[in-house]
Amino acid sequence: MIVIKNASLRRIISRVVPYIAIPLIVAVGIFVFEEKRWAMVALGVAVCTVLLFLAGFDSGKTGSRRLILSAVLSALSVAGRFIPIFKPVTAITMIAGMWLGGEAGFLVGSMSALVSNIYFGHGPWTPFQMFAWGMIGLFSGYLSVPLRKSRIFLLIAGALAGGLYSMIMDIWTIMWYNGSMDLSLYAAAMVTALPHTIIYVLSNVIFLFILAGPIGEKLSRVKIKYGV
Amino acid sequence: MEILRVENLSFKYPTGKAPTLKELSFSVNEGEFVVLCGATGSGKSTLLRLLKRELAPLGEKSGSVCYGGRSLEQLDARTAASEIGFVMQRPEQQIAADKVWHELALGLENLGESQDVIRRRCAEMAGYFGIAPWFDRETSKLSGGQKQLLNLAAVMAMNPRVLILDEPTAQLDPIAASDFIGTLLKINRELSLTVIIAEHRLEELIPVCDRLIALDCGEIVADAPPREALPLLASRPALLRMMPAASRLSMALGLETKGEVPLTVREGKRMIEEHYTNKVRSLPAKTPVAPEVNALEFRDVWFRYSQKGEDILRGTSFHVKQGEFFCILGANGSGKTTALGAVAAINRIFSGKIKIFGKQLKDYKNGTLYQSCLAWLPQDPQTLFLRNTLREELKGAEAEAAMLGLDLVKYADTHPYDLSGGEQQLAALARVLSTKPKLLLLDEPTKGLDAASRERITDILRRLRDGGMTILAVTHDAEFAADAADRCALFFRGEIVSTGTPREFFAANSFYTTAANRMTRGHYDGIVTLPEAVEICRLNGEAKA
Amino acid sequence: MKTIADFNPIVQTLYFLSAALCSMLGMNPVMIVISLVGALLLYILRAEDEKPTGHLFTLLLFAVTALINPLFYHNGATVLLVINNNPITLEATLYGITAGAMIIAVLYHFRSFSKIMTSDRLMYVFGKLSGKFALTLSMTLRYIPLFITQMERVRAAQRTTGQYKDGSIADTVKSDLRVFSVMITWALENGIVTADSMEARGYGTGKRTSFALWRMRRRDVIFLLLILLLVGLQLPALLSGALTFTFYPNIRSLPTSPAAILAYISYGALVLTPSAIECIERAKWKYFVSKI
Repeated sequence: MIVIKNASLRRIISRVVPYIAIPLIVAVGIFVFEEKRWAMVALGVAVCTVLLFLAGFDSGKTGSRRLILSAVLSALSVAGRFIPIFKPVTAITMIAGMWLGGEAGFLVGSMSALVSNIYFGHGPWTPFQMFAWGMIGLFSGYLSVPLRKSRIFLLIAGALAGGLYSMIMDIWTIMWYNGSMDLSLYAAAMVTALPHTIIYVLSNVIFLFILAGPIGEKLSRVKIKYGV
Repeated sequence: MEILRVENLSFKYPTGKAPTLKELSFSVNEGEFVVLCGATGSGKSTLLRLLKRELAPLGEKSGSVCYGGRSLEQLDARTAASEIGFVMQRPEQQIAADKVWHELALGLENLGESQDVIRRRCAEMAGYFGIAPWFDRETSKLSGGQKQLLNLAAVMAMNPRVLILDEPTAQLDPIAASDFIGTLLKINRELSLTVIIAEHRLEELIPVCDRLIALDCGEIVADAPPREALPLLASRPALLRMMPAASRLSMALGLETKGEVPLTVREGKRMIEEHYTNKVRSLPAKTPVAPEVNALEFRDVWFRYSQKGEDILRGTSFHVKQGEFFCILGANGSGKTTALGAVAAINRIFSGKIKIFGKQLKDYKNGTLYQSCLAWLPQDPQTLFLRNTLREELKGAEAEAAMLGLDLVKYADTHPYDLSGGEQQLAALARVLSTKPKLLLLDEPTKGLDAASRERITDILRRLRDGGMTILAVTHDAEFAADAADRCALFFRGEIVSTGTPREFFAANSFYTTAANRMTRGHYDGIVTLPEAVEICRLNGEAKA
Repeated sequence: MKTIADFNPIVQTLYFLSAALCSMLGMNPVMIVISLVGALLLYILRAEDEKPTGHLFTLLLFAVTALINPLFYHNGATVLLVINNNPITLEATLYGITAGAMIIAVLYHFRSFSKIMTSDRLMYVFGKLSGKFALTLSMTLRYIPLFITQMERVRAAQRTTGQYKDGSIADTVKSDLRVFSVMITWALENGIVTADSMEARGYGTGKRTSFALWRMRRRDVIFLLLILLLVGLQLPALLSGALTFTFYPNIRSLPTSPAAILAYISYGALVLTPSAIECIERAKWKYFVSKI
């Protein structure tokens, strides 16, 4: 296990990993391997990110209360998936990032993906989903100030996150299938997945529109009550 | 040997006006079984939490708590965490892990113990507490009693020397509660473990404890073995009403000065038979108020949750008359709560008929059933709350809140979750009463309530009934049913096996009955509540010794 | 019995990941056929009571993935037929079939994986990476059933106060949102009890350990070394591109270099080992029972 004692070093790593290391792996993947290994490179990136996050998370100090809050939010987002037409994962991940910070956001996002797949079945998509939702949580943490301030911005970000999530997952599926990116195939996949994506984006926006405020209030209340 | 010493302990919450605890001093010896009692708000939970460093509330504290001769603050983190164990009220929420074995291991993992130590300790705990058969199970699949036993075992795995329990049986049914107390007694006797326990229901604890510490408004009013402590509480009704029925009876009859205070049913029975004749064997029967119109008819109802599941209701039939208070008693899993759900149209019945005020349940369309007809008070009032303050929560139910005696001015801006259990229940009741129901359904209305809240809710329900409301309650609480109900019924395996007025019902039962009935059985007939017992004893007069 | 389900979770994870990954790298029909045979065999051996509808879904998926490629991709020299001026080529069709087979092979590997990797096994694997993540995972898994039951209770309670309506989709969504909102409050407020119980049991007093029911036994180590060896033998072929099979513009013959042959054999040995263990153990058990 990687133990990073120095807090500032840890902070640097948490910045370096998403912005530098990952693009680097992608670049290496493109130039060194042949084109057909794209899907594998993407998978590699996802796995590396998740692993690096885990290592960083393990070494950091997390109070039991923060840990419980993350577990509660992850469980809520997965339990919510059992309600028909209800897909709260992205929204809750964003809310977690906004109110509890990027690390908790990443944790809630990747945990929700992992646990969902315990119920719905694992696949090569598991690390990829963990990565995608984790990143949504992480960036919501970075953008917490504007996201909390402007509701419009929040809703746009929510729609984008929902849409991008579906799109990225589709791209990966195509790459996995085809070995490389094929636009016509991708377009076909997009069109067939369109109703699904629209529901996804809509439910995300509706969810954030109605619940972002109340959940924020509730979270700030328990943060005071818990003394986080 | 002294293990815990509290000296001049005072405590005030940052938001509170008056101190919660005032200059408390006492000490506990190793191996003692101490019961801490006090009404809600007496500060007993605060005191217990101050004895456990990790859970100590924030606020102004003065005085000291010493463990093994050292101040609690001076202990190293490991000792503080492992040697003082703490078990709380809600079995469900204390469990942190998904599997039983992991829950047992959790504390030892936190202490950084090695795999081998944890493996051995888990095996020991599983064996000692009889957990082995469900060692691999998921914690969510356990019953309430098993969950609380697991919580106890998980704390015991860390080898504590002092065990502190804050109302551990409040959320359990009576059978699970006495099993739990039995286990506590066993570890106290066999391992000489020091136990400090706070509890609402003391019927079973007082007879077995070594010492009773009574708290009233943040002060210790009694600290002695139970027989000596009880007479000191004679002038404090709030404390007295939690005591065992036998002790309350003796004190109501003014016998506490003559010999020892009885603690158990056996001692109570002996006391009655020694001191009172039985020339008058029974009290005159109350004239039953009998409006012969049925408010609820339940005829040959069958229900199961899933196609392949077992039948939960097997041709259940009963009726509740208008203006009647009807109580259904029965063990866990007997189907009584399911029957209540069927009346509230939450469980759709498979066959049979349910009529409410003469109209079939299925003919109530578009939610008309829930508008000024039927209301349901769920077991967990928190399932009803939607808002952040009590004022918003009870909008439109202000009159009901006032009628129930809920202080809306004081609590207006309080979050419903910050109210005490009893007040949460009143708030929920106000909410459901605001639809002006004619039939009120209650699921375990006395669960987890202290004696004062229990009396208050009993009183309120009686008043509602007198105002013409029909009430159907499902409960484990025989004393409550005897006090409040007009008729009681026993549920077993999805059927009603007996019904009757409390007097007929409890007098005919031998096991499932009230303490007052057990004490007077054989000497008097048909006595089921404590006031009745007091009355008949007085009527007969003291025997000349 | 000592089947694949009873090995140490780390060994299991390593097996399934290498079995799936080796067939995903490079579109080699031989590797994919081996992968599919191994995956299906294990899955069928282990899931005797599985309904055939489960396989129907994969069959359908295979059909779609096999057909979609020739319909959208028109590379390849051998034209089979022309639809709307778009040539359907033999090469694209074969590519589609191979890719479809690869996808369902990987799916079957993962299906067996999902069945074998119960949550506590998964937690053990993650516990090796991060104890704290494993703990959070355990707590999340503990909360989910609790929340689902509580959600039912809230729904029932809200229904009787007339707050829950399910007449139309809009009503249902609105009502479910309200139920969910109540749930959030309930979950967050009551979570503090769990936090207290964790603190009371010494969370944060020092370095934690992660306890697990599994140990690395001798057979786990042997299987682990076997996996490493068999994957190692494939590496030269996988990395040098000796397995690369060209579909376009013309299909070339299957790679048969010594490295490739070695890779086929060792990959075959890898994916067939669990099924072989399963069969041997069953035979042993039958023999054992017949002796009684």
